[in-house]
Amino acid sequence: MKEVAIAGMGFVKFGRYDGQKGRPYKEIYELGADAITKALKYADMEWKDIQVAYGASMFGGLGVPNQCTSRLGMPGFPITTVEGACSSSQQAMRQAYLDIANGMYDVGLAFGTEKIPPGLIADTLSPVWMLRMGFNLPGTYALGTRAYMQASGATEEDMARVAVMERKNAIMNPNAFWYQGPEITVEEVLNSRMIASPIRFLMACANADGASAAIVCSKDKLKSKAKAVTIVGSAHATATYGYDNLGNSVREKMNPNCTELACKQVWEMSGYGPEDMDVIQLYEAMSPSFLWDAEDCGFCKRGEAAKLVREGYFEIGGKMPANTDGGLVGRGHPTGATGLAQIAELFFQLRGEAGPRQVPGAKIAFNHCSGGGPNALCHVLKR
Amino acid sequence: MSTNGKKQIPCRDGLWSSPSSPDEKPQLMGSKCPNCGEVFFPVNPVCINCQHQTMNDIKLSRKGKIYSFTTMMLPPPQWYKGPVPFDLGFVELPEGVRVWTRLLGAEAGTFKIGQEVELDIDVMQVDAEGSEILGYCFVPVKK
Amino acid sequence: MREVAIAGIGLAKFGRYDGKKGRPRKLYPEMGGDAIAKALKYANMEWKEIQAAFGGTYYGGLGGTHQCVARVGLTGIPIVNVYSGHSSEAALRLAYLRVALGVHDIVVAVGAETLPGGLLDNQTMPAWMRMMGLDPLPAAAACRAVRYMEDYGATVEDFARVSVMERKNAALNPNAMFQQEVTQEEVLRSRMIASPLTLLMNCANADGAAAVIVCSKNKLKSKKKVVTIASMVQTSGTYGTTPSGGSVSVSTKVKNPDCIELAAKQIWEASGYGPEDMDVIQVHDAFSPAFLWNVEKCGFCKRGEAPRLLKEGYFEKDGKMPANTDGGIMGRGHPTGATGIAQVAEIFYQLREEAGPRQVAGAKIGFAQGASPGPNAVLTVLKR
Repeated sequence: MKEVAIAGMGFVKFGRYDGQKGRPYKEIYELGADAITKALKYADMEWKDIQVAYGASMFGGLGVPNQCTSRLGMPGFPITTVEGACSSSQQAMRQAYLDIANGMYDVGLAFGTEKIPPGLIADTLSPVWMLRMGFNLPGTYALGTRAYMQASGATEEDMARVAVMERKNAIMNPNAFWYQGPEITVEEVLNSRMIASPIRFLMACANADGASAAIVCSKDKLKSKAKAVTIVGSAHATATYGYDNLGNSVREKMNPNCTELACKQVWEMSGYGPEDMDVIQLYEAMSPSFLWDAEDCGFCKRGEAAKLVREGYFEIGGKMPANTDGGLVGRGHPTGATGLAQIAELFFQLRGEAGPRQVPGAKIAFNHCSGGGPNALCHVLKR
Repeated sequence: MSTNGKKQIPCRDGLWSSPSSPDEKPQLMGSKCPNCGEVFFPVNPVCINCQHQTMNDIKLSRKGKIYSFTTMMLPPPQWYKGPVPFDLGFVELPEGVRVWTRLLGAEAGTFKIGQEVELDIDVMQVDAEGSEILGYCFVPVKK
Repeated sequence: MREVAIAGIGLAKFGRYDGKKGRPRKLYPEMGGDAIAKALKYANMEWKEIQAAFGGTYYGGLGGTHQCVARVGLTGIPIVNVYSGHSSEAALRLAYLRVALGVHDIVVAVGAETLPGGLLDNQTMPAWMRMMGLDPLPAAAACRAVRYMEDYGATVEDFARVSVMERKNAALNPNAMFQQEVTQEEVLRSRMIASPLTLLMNCANADGAAAVIVCSKNKLKSKKKVVTIASMVQTSGTYGTTPSGGSVSVSTKVKNPDCIELAAKQIWEASGYGPEDMDVIQVHDAFSPAFLWNVEKCGFCKRGEAPRLLKEGYFEKDGKMPANTDGGIMGRGHPTGATGIAQVAEIFYQLREEAGPRQVAGAKIGFAQGASPGPNAVLTVLKR
């Protein structure tokens, strides 16, 4: 297996590009092309260096990746759309990684782009008969949240605390939806509109538009070997028996869930463990899931996450800095672009380019990404 | 503003020029590569042929020849609100591009390959706020 | 790269399962699960041996492969939903690559579809183009057909002939949507959709599923009549052959091979075979004239020559280059997410001598050309 490096990453600031209220208007493929151009520039590579592309867009339609790349060039290399709900763009990176690690190609492009309509994100994973009965994404999250609160003793304050931390981090991230602030307080979170009890508005990720892209290559193809970031672990797992398509446990726990499974695989593959990580990203479309993700991924014992949040364990200055760029809650969640945005933050951290968010001396990073399916994707990056 | 006082909005900004005098007619606006000379419509920031990173603006000729066309007998789903049947085709412009376009201004199915046609801007539909949505099309050259 | 064999294939008969007019109602996850179960049975394998799944559904929504797989087993394996345009041969290609590269040993690829009726939603175009009615896929194919007639003297009779041949072949295929032949007259007189293409020159919206299990050769349960994938290539749109993203113009000055010609060039180089070596082929024709220009682009004859050869019976089941022996898209119907794998399935059955009355005697090497909006092309060479 060849060593695979991330040569460059590019971003379109997560925000709103709907042309309303004085905001700029951009087509979804313009956002994607923009992110790709930035990633190429960072990597000091040219369009003609790319040999394969994997693209993602959850709501844009299946032709979007081709539309994005063909704004830049049309040399005919394979372009494949991959979908894993909210993990889609990271799925794209993983496929490029597998191709390159196994010698199929030397340089690949992975990207995701999204424009999300306002309001509740459509749950297209559940069949129509379930949707007619009122099943929806926040509702499903809320069920998991209640079960977790019962089992762990975590409170709504704990969930609010995660959101507060992430909104604070977002203010240091020029690419985040909430870059302009404001900071929020626990009280504000707990007084915000209820979406699906106990999940409140300020615990939820903002619907956002945006794009992210990565150039992935075999290490020897890097233009610059300085501070090279390589992918040392990659794993993808889906539901085991006892879980539904959104990852909720529907039986007495018989099997590990997909996050536990993917983590187990990535720790084995990389040879590292949670304690070796310097900076991490945990997927939390709604802030409560930060808590159980931290436990599922092995960063603390079952039921312990809330206490650690209270102690500042996951803050930028804490023992295990997490979601230093704001996470989904602070960064916003253009679903097809989020996965690579998580990787991007870890990449910038390892390269020492995270500015005010910098975790000093970060050398090894961990990413957990999940999406409806369910899918859990875990990566370990190293400098 | 249209003649009946309704607000007019193009289906997309920047597809055609706005005339600055009554004698001037709209032209489709595209990009031309200063390196390889390839032309694109609508505007594109880079050259898709040679990846040159800057492009020059170009206004495309109003007249062209029909390269191919078909008469659609079914309405396209969701967005199209125009008449059916209607014609679609490629119009070849002297700048070296063929543009995919509706063909209007004559009975559907009466166009011919090689026929000269010219650009027109038409009202396609009215949106929820009562504004007219404009689009481009090509019509038989007015004698 | 290791040798990759096809261990098994399963098909859920293409048809209409919309619950109307006395028809049964089935959604694509059910059909996808069905196809996977059949493939496992054929391969004499169990679900727990499958290490990864790739799949596609174009209209089914998100998580399509997950939903098909969940009907069969939940073992936590990586499941990736894959598209290149609308057909699932991109899923098959990834399944093939992951085995060839040694990432997995046994992988399933599945394509499943439940289509709405009427003109399909073209997701490759932004709203402003669609407001102008620029999106219908039959219109793009029809304009191509008009040029093909203009440039090479082809006629609508030639286009009808493709449909007649394919419907005749489909009548011998129990998994095809259409079980009845049609005449040249019937095709020409059927309702006009986008001139000059009539209804029977257009693919029929259909529901269905197809699944294939690929594995490293040593994992096959039976070593008899082993069919391997000799080569698979995938390409996307090239400059000057199709509008670029967000654009409605095509250059008249730059001449490049289009994605199908490019893929064909690559696969003949990579596989070491040429078109003349093929015993049986599959050509993608969601619109019947596409059979003619695709078979030319893939190198089976010179440009403009296909109509004459078709008329001479060259592509018939007992002709020199049997094509679309299971009915092709005209005969099979077009559950868009499943078509790609169904094409490969027919070649597989031909090479295994299991094509029944459709059998091409002594078929040893076969070819399948898939294509889809994007544009994208995926080509496969199989051999026994």
